[in-house]
Amino acid sequence: MLAKWGGKDTSFLDWYRNTITPAKANFFPPMEEMFSFRKDREGYRIELPPSDEGKQLIFGIRPCDARALAILDMTFKDAYEDPYYLSKRNNAVLIGLGCIKPYDSCFCTSLGISPAESTDVDLMLTDIGDQFLIEEITQKGKELIARASGVEDATEADEARAKEAKESSYNKVARKIETEDIKEKLLPNFDNQDYWERVAAKCLSCGICTFLCPTCFCFDISDELVKNQGERFRCWDSCAFPIYTKMPMENPRVEKWRRVRQRVYHKYQFYPMNFGVIACTGCGRCIRQCPVNWDITQALNSLPAKVKAEN
Amino acid sequence: MTITDISHRRRYLNRGNIYLPHIAIIEKIIDETPGERAIRTFHFNFKDEKLREEFTFESGQFAEYSIFGIGEAPFCISSSPTRSDHLEFAVLRLGKVTNALHRLSVGAEIGFRGPYGNSFPLDLLQEKNLIFVAGGIGLAPLRSLIWNVIDNRDKYENIDIIYGARSPSDLCFKYDLDDWDKNKTVNMVTTVDRGDETWMGRVGFVPAVLEQVAPSASNTVAIVCGPPIMIRFTFPVLEKLGFTPEQMITTLEKRMKCGIGKCGRCNIGNLYVCRDGPVFSYAQIKSFISSEY
Repeated sequence: MLAKWGGKDTSFLDWYRNTITPAKANFFPPMEEMFSFRKDREGYRIELPPSDEGKQLIFGIRPCDARALAILDMTFKDAYEDPYYLSKRNNAVLIGLGCIKPYDSCFCTSLGISPAESTDVDLMLTDIGDQFLIEEITQKGKELIARASGVEDATEADEARAKEAKESSYNKVARKIETEDIKEKLLPNFDNQDYWERVAAKCLSCGICTFLCPTCFCFDISDELVKNQGERFRCWDSCAFPIYTKMPMENPRVEKWRRVRQRVYHKYQFYPMNFGVIACTGCGRCIRQCPVNWDITQALNSLPAKVKAEN
Repeated sequence: MTITDISHRRRYLNRGNIYLPHIAIIEKIIDETPGERAIRTFHFNFKDEKLREEFTFESGQFAEYSIFGIGEAPFCISSSPTRSDHLEFAVLRLGKVTNALHRLSVGAEIGFRGPYGNSFPLDLLQEKNLIFVAGGIGLAPLRSLIWNVIDNRDKYENIDIIYGARSPSDLCFKYDLDDWDKNKTVNMVTTVDRGDETWMGRVGFVPAVLEQVAPSASNTVAIVCGPPIMIRFTFPVLEKLGFTPEQMITTLEKRMKCGIGKCGRCNIGNLYVCRDGPVFSYAQIKSFISSEY
């Protein structure tokens, strides 16, 4: 989870790098009660959990994680609105902070994201030495700044320093993937079992890449019962697990290579087909936190350009 | 005729929290098949009288049924909207929720969320010959459509039904099979994989029987549902008979949790069976079916 701030010490602003858990956990928690139920003489009664009206201010969210929320919005708003996610989303203010020190596993620039620029937040901050340059992105952000004290108008010199800081951050992101024709490269490789078996060989199916991915949204729904009352809750789930698709008689993804392929295709092929955007922001967590150094950029960059014709 | 995209048809959007189930009461339980993997049909109605009157659905849609404290599972609504004094669903006993459902008795309360998913494209089926091909409990979703078209018989041309099960005792909805057999406007073909001493009817796998019956593909739509293995073998037979992928419709089953395209697991390629289906034309899923279903 993100750290809760005590309100005094600001030294973390100088050193902290992106969080291990993305801000998605603040809107889509690892485990969440959906409703409770109890049985009395007249039958079952259903009750919503105490309403989650609490406002959140997320300070220091990185552009990659802010974009990820915009990507998650698409799924949670699509056709049927998800009340749990959207109520938290509507009650939050996002204050972005540009990355000064991207990790070497970061590749956001390949996904059209600049590590120190964002329009997916309410206010965007750029570290210009002893001050922050604040950009008002939304009306919500403007109103917040109007009520803040100690804010001065930026000078031309400040703007120039911010521009320099942004460019410098951008150039620090060294890892790249080619996204231009990625869909065209992926489609013919869907049935390239040989390739996916090789790519998936070292994966442990632990699921950490999906749990920490800021755009992964899969969940499971379960019940818990104690005597005559209980609750229905949801918790994060992962396409890395065989049980995820298991039906009593069939399972389309028993083999590991099918599950690894699903994760890659969902992000780079299926999500673009459904929503017009790649469901990856290049935050690099799936590379950094993987216990066996599985690397999605390698899997994408080494896709065979031409697949052998089937006989 | 093309039935290429039937994914974005009419939906019923609930107001409020989509995950909250309605309370429904079991009114009748029918034992369809015996044994370890028994099948039962449940008749039910909503506890809320207003909902009982207002609730509508279309043939092919499904719902999430739950037993509080055990969990939720998706099943199609197996009754027809043309016969709406109650609703029905059929359950094969296999897992945690289905076992719990089989332990229920009349009067029990269950949770119901739905209806979800798209439906059979009735408008595209009108004035066509219809051939229904079903295996085992796969008849449940087709049964909703079959009664629907029989109750509007004038709108459709010839109706053929080919239905099979492993053995005579595994045949579901025997009361419907008898009705359709007697109905002179319907050609009913029942088959079993293996007969027994009392079985006088056909013996043979559904795809093989389909090949023998050999319906003409001209102005015809085939509607197929059954276990994945039957579906996989039925499409090639239909292709051999001259059906195009746009003339073949199926309804699929996958592991599901949310039922509304959010929890992730029921995808075939970019399509979610719950949100874009469960009814698909073969043209829509052809490129993925060998590898993901």
